[in-house]
Amino acid sequence: MLAAVTQVPYPSWLNTGDNTWQLVAATFVGLMSLPALAVLYASLVQKKWAVNVVAMMFAGFSLVMIAWFLWSYKMGFGANSFGGGVKNGVPTQLTGVGGWTHFIDNFVGKPGSITSSAGEQGQAVSAANTVIPFHFPTSTLAYFQFVFAAITPLLFMGSVLGRIKFSAWCLLVPLWSTCVYSVDAFLLWGGGYFAQEGALDFSGGYVIHMSAGVSGFVAAWVLGPRLLRDRQHAIPNNLVMAAVGAGILWLGWNGFNGGDPYYAGADAAAAVVNTNLATAAGVLTWIALDAWLSKEKKPTFLGGVNGMICGLVGITPCAGWVNGQGAIAIGVICCAVVWVAWNFLSKVRPFSKVDDALGVVYTHGIAGLFGGLLLGFFGDPNMLEYGCGRLDPSNQVVATTQQTYITATAHCTPFSVNGLIYTGSAHQLWEQFRAAVWVVFWSALVTFILMKLIGLVLRGARYKDEVLEVGDLAIHGEEAFPEATLAERVGAFSMAGDSVSSSSRRPDEPLPPNEPNEPGS
Amino acid sequence: MKLIVAVLKPFKLDDVKEGLKALGIHGLTLTEAQGFGRQRGHTEVYRGAEYEVEFVPKIRLEVLVDDSRVEEVVSAIVETAGTGKIGDGKVWILPVEEVVRVRTGERGTEAL
Repeated sequence: MLAAVTQVPYPSWLNTGDNTWQLVAATFVGLMSLPALAVLYASLVQKKWAVNVVAMMFAGFSLVMIAWFLWSYKMGFGANSFGGGVKNGVPTQLTGVGGWTHFIDNFVGKPGSITSSAGEQGQAVSAANTVIPFHFPTSTLAYFQFVFAAITPLLFMGSVLGRIKFSAWCLLVPLWSTCVYSVDAFLLWGGGYFAQEGALDFSGGYVIHMSAGVSGFVAAWVLGPRLLRDRQHAIPNNLVMAAVGAGILWLGWNGFNGGDPYYAGADAAAAVVNTNLATAAGVLTWIALDAWLSKEKKPTFLGGVNGMICGLVGITPCAGWVNGQGAIAIGVICCAVVWVAWNFLSKVRPFSKVDDALGVVYTHGIAGLFGGLLLGFFGDPNMLEYGCGRLDPSNQVVATTQQTYITATAHCTPFSVNGLIYTGSAHQLWEQFRAAVWVVFWSALVTFILMKLIGLVLRGARYKDEVLEVGDLAIHGEEAFPEATLAERVGAFSMAGDSVSSSSRRPDEPLPPNEPNEPGS
Repeated sequence: MKLIVAVLKPFKLDDVKEGLKALGIHGLTLTEAQGFGRQRGHTEVYRGAEYEVEFVPKIRLEVLVDDSRVEEVVSAIVETAGTGKIGDGKVWILPVEEVVRVRTGERGTEAL
């Protein structure tokens, strides 16, 4: 007789807590792009550019979504590298063997689609997680990683807005995502070269923020500046809407950093708390610096938003690997460094010569760089991302007391980061530095090439001055805040009711909406 | 008939309105306006960059009155709108040829 079969809703490798948190976190991160970043950037520009900003945001998000699931997710997080250096999650060459060959073999994943039923519902696996399997399907991991891939080009839109052609943007986003983002993601997160070397980036201080800052700066340099008049009148159109966007960005970051342990455990919670500690410290630091040291001596709100972003970006590469004091220190340091850069470095070449419209290179580029380096100082070996438990005969984890949790065994090495101030070792700092140099180099080089190519294909990636004078109306035929009463509908649905259009309507023509049926018609 | 135009500080609107009501004036037109006089503008600072804003917010008040009432209305406005500080605004008086009430077609002082 056969044993009774019970129908189950999901396979045994799936953990509902992990899967739920990962999908919630992914949605939070998605909300950071739409609407948060769209609203924040659209309210920081003049009225005449607001529609262009939100249009580029929604188009960019959509473009990355399609590219990500058709080919680029696997380039960043697939189980196989392009050179075959990693096979089914196991590196075929050890660190240091083969030098350049090793680097090239572990450079980027093999592109491929994940849209099949098996691709979407099978257990997530990447070249990076050889120790603990993921407890959710590929769809969960891929969507979680998609919202990061999507926000990165949207972040550096802040550098190029106000003059880049919509068509140029729609080419740049998928190309950049494929050639820059996927490569850096594989190298640092997907089990590629820098991951094997030991460089760390909790949620994207390098792969996302520094890369966005550098790429935006280079793209803005290739594009050339906005109109002089736009630069002189670059006053935000709505600070309250900027507050809405900034607020969703901050709280969305709970998913951004809280989702990156990939398991809904203690480190996810610690990452959320550290993120908020660093951010609160960043907001207060910038406001205090503005109030005491700026020429105006006034605590400005948009300064507070800058400080918030510095704190968020600074803690991103560190969130689950530092303790609370470390998080506050990172928030203060990153914010202070960026404040100084914003006020003084911006007057020095090449910064003074490149029109980085919203200053992405400072709040994302410099904050991301310092956050990544500070991990080498503040990484706390007692902040465990993953621990070791003892398994009972049915393979359930038991004995998760602190002692067993942190003690390495023959089969398990708990994962945490050895920062300089706790261990006296500068090794992590060195690894962080090497990875930073690479990300800056690769982002700058490839962005430069892509912008030049797009410029050739489109005969200029920048709109003509006549278009720039007008903005949204010239590009999209829309205004952010149209005056309804000044406009009248024309064309097929011209407002009937007046004698001219009623009498000129053909008998077979449908009635315009909202017009009462005339008796006998 | 005369048209009295006053450009004033926005926060004095309530006082001026009450003053005019007390005189039995039962109609006026208000517009939000921008302008500067000797008071000049102010400086705003966004994301570390300073912007000189030459124009300051004002209200522009228009009252149509019969010739006989011009003096008392103007005095009421000046009295209620004044703070004694620079930037209080200005009042000027224009002759009006004709006034028509749209609803009834009444003309002249009847239409006021």
